[in-house]
Amino acid sequence: MTTDDPKERSAGPSQVEVSTTDPELRIGVFPCKCGKNIGAVVDIDDVAEYAKTLPGVAHVQVNVYTCADPGQREIQQAIAEHGLNRVVVASCSPTMHEDTFRKTVKAAGLNPYLCIMANIREHVSWVHQHNPEEATQKAKDLVAMAVAKAATLQPQPELDVPVTQAALVVGAGVAGMQASLDLAEAGFKVHLIEKQPTIGGIMAILDKVFPQNDCSICILGPKMVDVAKHPNINLITMAEVESVSGYVGNFEVRVKQRARYVDIDACTSCGDCVEVCPVDVPSRTDQSLTWQKAIQIPFPQAVPSSYFVDPDACLGMDLIRCGKCIDRCEQEAIVPSDQDKYIDLDAGVIILATGFKPAEPSKIPRLGWGRYPNVITSLEFERLINAAGPTGGSLVRPSDLTKPKSVAIAQCVGSRDINTRSGCSNFCCAESVKCALLIKEHYPDTEVSIFYQDLRMHGKYFEDQYQKAREEGIKFIRGRVGEIQQYPKTKSLRVSVEDTTHNKLLLEDFEMVILSMGAEGVSGNFPIPISCTSDSFYIESHPKLRPVDTSSAGVFICGGAESPKDIRDSVIQASAAAGRAGIILQKGRYPIEALSAKIKQDLCSRCGTCVSRCPYGAISQDGTGKFTVMGALCQACGTCAGDCPKDAIYMPNFTTEQIEAQIKIALQEDPGNKIVAFACAFCSYRGSDLAGVSRMQHPTNARIIRSMCSGRYSTKFAQKAFELGAGAVLYSGCHLPSDCHFQTGNHWMAKREPRIRAWMKRNNIEDERFRIEWVTAGEGKKWQNIMTEMAEVVKTPRQQIVPSVSKKPIDEKSKRPSKAKTDTRPKTKPKAKSKTKSRDTKKSASKRKVTKKK
Amino acid sequence: MLVKGRSQKRSDDMADDIQKSKLDALKKTARPCFQCGICTSSCPVFRVAPELNPRVSVDSIITKGEVPREGNEWLCAYCLMCDQRCPMGVSLAEILMEIKNISAREGKAPPDVIESAESLMADGCLSPISSRSDKKRTELGLPDLPKADPADVQKLFKATGAFEVLEINKAAQQEEAAE
Amino acid sequence: MKYAFFPGCTMAYRLPFAEKSVRMIAPKFDIELVDLPFTCCPEPNAIRAMSDDTWITFAARNIALAEKEGLNILTACAGCHESLSLAKHELDASQEKKEMVNGILKNVDVEYKGTSSIIHVHQLLFDEVGIETLSTKVTRPIPIKVVTHSGCHLLRPERILHVDDAEVPVKLDLLCEALGMEPLDYMDKTMCCGAGVRKTNSVTSYAVLREKLTSMDMVEPQAIVVFCPTCFITFESGQRVVNRIFGTNFMFPVFYYTELLALAMGLPDTDLLLDEHRVKIDLPKTKEVQDKAKVDLGDSLASSP
Repeated sequence: MTTDDPKERSAGPSQVEVSTTDPELRIGVFPCKCGKNIGAVVDIDDVAEYAKTLPGVAHVQVNVYTCADPGQREIQQAIAEHGLNRVVVASCSPTMHEDTFRKTVKAAGLNPYLCIMANIREHVSWVHQHNPEEATQKAKDLVAMAVAKAATLQPQPELDVPVTQAALVVGAGVAGMQASLDLAEAGFKVHLIEKQPTIGGIMAILDKVFPQNDCSICILGPKMVDVAKHPNINLITMAEVESVSGYVGNFEVRVKQRARYVDIDACTSCGDCVEVCPVDVPSRTDQSLTWQKAIQIPFPQAVPSSYFVDPDACLGMDLIRCGKCIDRCEQEAIVPSDQDKYIDLDAGVIILATGFKPAEPSKIPRLGWGRYPNVITSLEFERLINAAGPTGGSLVRPSDLTKPKSVAIAQCVGSRDINTRSGCSNFCCAESVKCALLIKEHYPDTEVSIFYQDLRMHGKYFEDQYQKAREEGIKFIRGRVGEIQQYPKTKSLRVSVEDTTHNKLLLEDFEMVILSMGAEGVSGNFPIPISCTSDSFYIESHPKLRPVDTSSAGVFICGGAESPKDIRDSVIQASAAAGRAGIILQKGRYPIEALSAKIKQDLCSRCGTCVSRCPYGAISQDGTGKFTVMGALCQACGTCAGDCPKDAIYMPNFTTEQIEAQIKIALQEDPGNKIVAFACAFCSYRGSDLAGVSRMQHPTNARIIRSMCSGRYSTKFAQKAFELGAGAVLYSGCHLPSDCHFQTGNHWMAKREPRIRAWMKRNNIEDERFRIEWVTAGEGKKWQNIMTEMAEVVKTPRQQIVPSVSKKPIDEKSKRPSKAKTDTRPKTKPKAKSKTKSRDTKKSASKRKVTKKK
Repeated sequence: MLVKGRSQKRSDDMADDIQKSKLDALKKTARPCFQCGICTSSCPVFRVAPELNPRVSVDSIITKGEVPREGNEWLCAYCLMCDQRCPMGVSLAEILMEIKNISAREGKAPPDVIESAESLMADGCLSPISSRSDKKRTELGLPDLPKADPADVQKLFKATGAFEVLEINKAAQQEEAAE
Repeated sequence: MKYAFFPGCTMAYRLPFAEKSVRMIAPKFDIELVDLPFTCCPEPNAIRAMSDDTWITFAARNIALAEKEGLNILTACAGCHESLSLAKHELDASQEKKEMVNGILKNVDVEYKGTSSIIHVHQLLFDEVGIETLSTKVTRPIPIKVVTHSGCHLLRPERILHVDDAEVPVKLDLLCEALGMEPLDYMDKTMCCGAGVRKTNSVTSYAVLREKLTSMDMVEPQAIVVFCPTCFITFESGQRVVNRIFGTNFMFPVFYYTELLALAMGLPDTDLLLDEHRVKIDLPKTKEVQDKAKVDLGDSLASSP
């Protein structure tokens, strides 16, 4: 350890006792040299001397490496010896060590939320290396800001809640089945909900599955039986989740199950009923290529192994209208009185495995599906080549039932197209090669051509398949099919495609064309707000590090609901989700966010704005009209507080009082030269840290105030800063539209901009003094640029307007136009209106100028 | 030939600026293209005249950063099939149109286009109005169509820069004829 | 309803009988046509290729003339329709462009505001009048098999024009059906007729036309129905050139849709129109539709229980 260095040891900790006027408040300040990282630029002893003079400070102790074991021990000793009840560590970024020091003070018996940090390394010594004097001054300010904030910190309870030992898995395709089996095997109860009458999903209707081309139902069938038989799995088919309430560990779920009209236990799947049913309906399993009856089983291996009645098609289960099946069924398994029912379940965790929908070929009219019978989708092909399919496994042309002598396979259908879905489906390349090989296997004389754009055979064993296809004489042509036209007499097809490797048009005739279909997202209608991509797939909590978590604690995603993927990837992800869910179940208790919002009932005007701001549905109104926050759902972003007109929401550790205290201290000297910069914890603050880590030098004007999310920055903070004479104010958040760690906080913050600018206008504050920026954790350079540019802005002194600054809060003033709107009297001064308008244009023009500057 | 004076030089610079900004805009529009070939396989002209390949035209803008020199874009019939089908939403027909715009400013417009522009300037109309067509209208009992003021047509033609482009092309034509 | 009528140069001076047919049917649907001193639309390919600014300014002037009269524009040519619609779309989308154009238009004392809309006869008949009303006016159905060609510039860009489905156009077929014709589906239905490059490279243009005609020929239609005078000329006169160059033998009668509508409505003087066609057709004689209706009525009465 570096503390062994005798030289540094000699620099040693200095201890000074300071008396305080408030005996209740005993703040300990621990300025850190971080070796030379801080010490070489900032005069730490000077900072320490200054800290002693701050109100409430009872003890100041300099350390060389505060984060090292001895440094931490010294904090603990100081807490005991000096009766400290607040701790400020002035060292590196809280992102780096806040957790460390919270644990330190907790071990010394202090509530961990009573410890905060002043970031004098990333925000000072590393970015102002050539300006030690100003750096030291800035470090002092940051310490003073932290001390001011510490003075009002409150202990926060660290709570946890019991966890119901059961999982809800929604969707019983291969992903949902896998997740259920994993959790059930681990000993947890699983409620598995499936919309269809059978489990198995898309995999159940495939013929062979790549890359080894083994029989799909042969490998899936046994797994389906396992699901049906597992004592820990409660399988509910023909059912959908109707509502979910509660929170992680304690979800209350209501499931609606549609009437099946057949008793699962009594039905022996003999099929006698089908023989007498007079109603034909298109077969869902067979992609409408053939018919089934109104009473049916999706396919022989279906689980549960029971028939069901399609109520929309059935003529009526009584003897007057039909009732033939009832008459025929010897088991008396048909139950005409069956009704839809609701089932209430409790679950500690939820796994969403709701899958995707095959892309819709009718959305791509240039390829002729639906108009030309011999243009079929890859799923239709699966049924035609499947021994259990409508043709008993012979591939024939739907137009005349003859065997096609030439087949084209068109890739990327419904994928990589902004008119359908712009992403790649991840499976259509391998699917095409598989289809081609299956055709060659059954009909070696059939010519097969694959038209591809980029052949993405990325998976394990995929390249072998491609190699095999080449050896089988399958033609690969690089070019996406532009159009398919049908010959009017033969119903054969003319495929128009550019061979892009030879810049040559191919107008080739084929007897059949298979469209290799992509996927369409169907996620998003689950009754818990989980954010989705624009193409309706669930968004993971972090694309790399938390790929199966969602932003709602206790809710996990896997399979096609998360993104289009093949079977292997779905199974991998399902096991991952089960593993993550199992952690919560196994622990039995779940810690809830200590910093969750609380509503001050005496101030609340019950306007309900907060409800619309909360991305987690954590705020609700009870019967008496009172709004409350459900702690376990709240993630503490503070967006509700940012827009609360009465300031009635208490955000622990980020209270309005604390933030305003920081603003006040930041501006106590030479405010016109200062930039008050607000940065959100997950993106912008980390971006500013990165500028530090990368030693990106910039002027010392900024005083950064951290909050959980940019949604917390109310219009008041900018107003307060300007009232105190700030030279400039920055609101920085995660990039729009979808980077926000709290889903929508940045959107709500952006919506406040016009009100802030209007207020500034009324108070003669130049537009360029306020900036909204989007900075990610990777944009240190951008942070440096913003700081440098804003430092230029504050060089010009503020106009002498401070006395005229309106004390009316921004939001109150902004109500004016809406008042004017409701005014129904004839307008007496139409000219005045146009005047305001022209002013507005000017404003936006000057705004444009600022953006240009960036 | 004219001896280029200072003012001539300046207007050349300005023309260069316009060309450059047009090319820059073109590059930006072309960028999303991922060379799938749907445009080309949908092109009725490519089917019979493979020298017009919209994908290759766009590729040359993306990879070489310049407008293709061969002038094949003038073969575009502007049927907008490529535009309709582009999976990246690239407006192929507009790109070809912009390429034509740029090369017209370089004096490379084909004779028929120059002819069309001249008849628009002269008559405000592309189909030549003959006594025969007038007679036919009378026979059919059709009304005389009111005509635009030729002076107005001239004004607009000049003010929108078409006159200048026309002059550049006529000069280029003459130069070619002389060679 | 009153419209500023925009026949376009091609229709006015090369296909006046088609213009005549529009003027014949209009009053039957209570439509009044007003003529204004328009210039060329301008033609969307050549002029625009020379100078984008020239194209949009001339188009803006044309639209502005109609605006001044408080009228919407009724176009009859697919090219004019697209040119004016596209120009309007660009002007309405960009304030900057509008200001640039109006700056120039000031010289000729007009101003583009964006108050007039532009509709084609196709839209007028299908969307405004409607198949149902149209059918009631048909007294002499025309029982022939036809192929239809709406015209590229009426279909695309679909996102701006919204006339019909650009990939699977059906509206002109339905309009033909309403006149008793049988529209046939054929390959390359949305393919260009080739007119766009005729002047620049005629061989290419006729090669495109040959492809199109070959596809049409496969279903053996009795006539081609179009909604654009330029396509009309390309098919009617162009097929002879195609025959000469490629040794083919195409001889399709071609109709601008409202000609057939005028015929089916039993309007007087339709012979004047047919006389102008280069490829004549003997239209099957049909009884007045009223007789047919009576027979139909009898049949259905007889068959009902």
